Amino acid sequence: MDRKRIIEEGLLERYALGTLATDEETELIEALLIDEGLKEQLAEFEAEFEQIGLENAIAPPARVKEQLRKSLEAVSLPAPSSVSKSSSVLQSGRLMVAASMAALFALGAFWLYVQWQTSIEDLNTLQTQTNQLQERLDGLEQQYDTTRERYATINDPKTIPLYLVGNQNSPETRVVAYVNHEDKTVIVNGLGLVALEREKAYQMWADVEGEMINMGLIPVGEEYIPLRYIDKAESLNITVEPAGGSEHPTVQNLITNVYL
Amino acid sequence: MKEDTSDLFLIDRLKNGEKNALYPLYDKYSGALFGVIVRMCRDKELAEDLLQESFIKIWEKIESYKPGRGKFYTWAYRICRNTTLNHLRKSSPLIQQEDLSVYKDVTDEMPSEPYEQLKGVLKKLEPHHQEAIRLVYFKGYTHKEAHEFMGVPLGTFKSYIRQALLKLRSIRSELYHVLIVIEVLANG
Repeated sequence: MDRKRIIEEGLLERYALGTLATDEETELIEALLIDEGLKEQLAEFEAEFEQIGLENAIAPPARVKEQLRKSLEAVSLPAPSSVSKSSSVLQSGRLMVAASMAALFALGAFWLYVQWQTSIEDLNTLQTQTNQLQERLDGLEQQYDTTRERYATINDPKTIPLYLVGNQNSPETRVVAYVNHEDKTVIVNGLGLVALEREKAYQMWADVEGEMINMGLIPVGEEYIPLRYIDKAESLNITVEPAGGSEHPTVQNLITNVYL
Repeated sequence: MKEDTSDLFLIDRLKNGEKNALYPLYDKYSGALFGVIVRMCRDKELAEDLLQESFIKIWEKIESYKPGRGKFYTWAYRICRNTTLNHLRKSSPLIQQEDLSVYKDVTDEMPSEPYEQLKGVLKKLEPHHQEAIRLVYFKGYTHKEAHEFMGVPLGTFKSYIRQALLKLRSIRSELYHVLIVIEVLANG
């Protein structure tokens, strides 16, 4: 709040008269703290108003002071109940104050109750969210462990990566199979498989001495698919089978194979 | 904002819970404050109750009085003004406006009772300056209400108040010098 505005708007006079709005008063008090000139002007206005009051004073009857004394003596500490019993206006005023305070207490108690209930709800929500987060964290940890394990398997020097390229039945197919003969594990990356109709599925087979042995189904779009390791396999083959897989491969649906 | 040191001493005692310190302050300021209240509410009996209520509030709220922010009289005046206006607001269909107005749509009556007449240096002011001070100081009008009541622009009204205060100060200064001259002449 700048000095010019304070003077032009008559804020000092209004402050002395008590007609400033709360925010204006706060700003003016801040301005007064740093401006001695304004402070002096205010002091002059205040002194003038006081002088006007004193010059226009009207002596109140002595009974007012007596009543005031009685009211104050009736209480040990400052309290609104210290009002003269003989004054009906004050009496009703005090009753209003008491009623207002009771209403305020009631409102306060209700507000506290609502806050309490809200806090309990918030706490429950927070607990639920914490549980959900914990579950997600557990899931992520599990996924991370699995991924780390598979990554270790894939990068194991004893693991052999085998690339399966699609034949004329599915020229776009690209699959990688990671075979570890020591650990007897097979992991397949199925990201390069072409999407199938819902009633069909990819199935991998191991050729052992001319017999095709089921290694498991390969879901499309998954990166690390562990399949069954088959000893003495001579080649790995993928066929398209009805959803759920077959007991025997449908040879005419062979889309790729690789020899070990 | 120089405060009378005896006032400050009494205020300190009040803040320490010493009720008896209120009575010297009452003796000093009750007349000025009663003069304001009675002109505001125009009812002597009611004014007595409101004065008593105001001094009880002064006792109750004394902790909130900060000497650095203004004189004790200014603070006490505000309590009296608000107590009176709140009472008038409750007992008449006045609605407080955003600018703290409470007299909207109510026609103020000119002073009719002898006690309502203004006294002192105020009477030496020009009529429009007197009226401006009467409205804001003795009737509790906001500047907005008062300029509407007087039928002059708000800026003009603000000038009235400022000019009136400066004029009062100037008259007092002249009177002070006259008194000094009289005293010098009287004492040879």
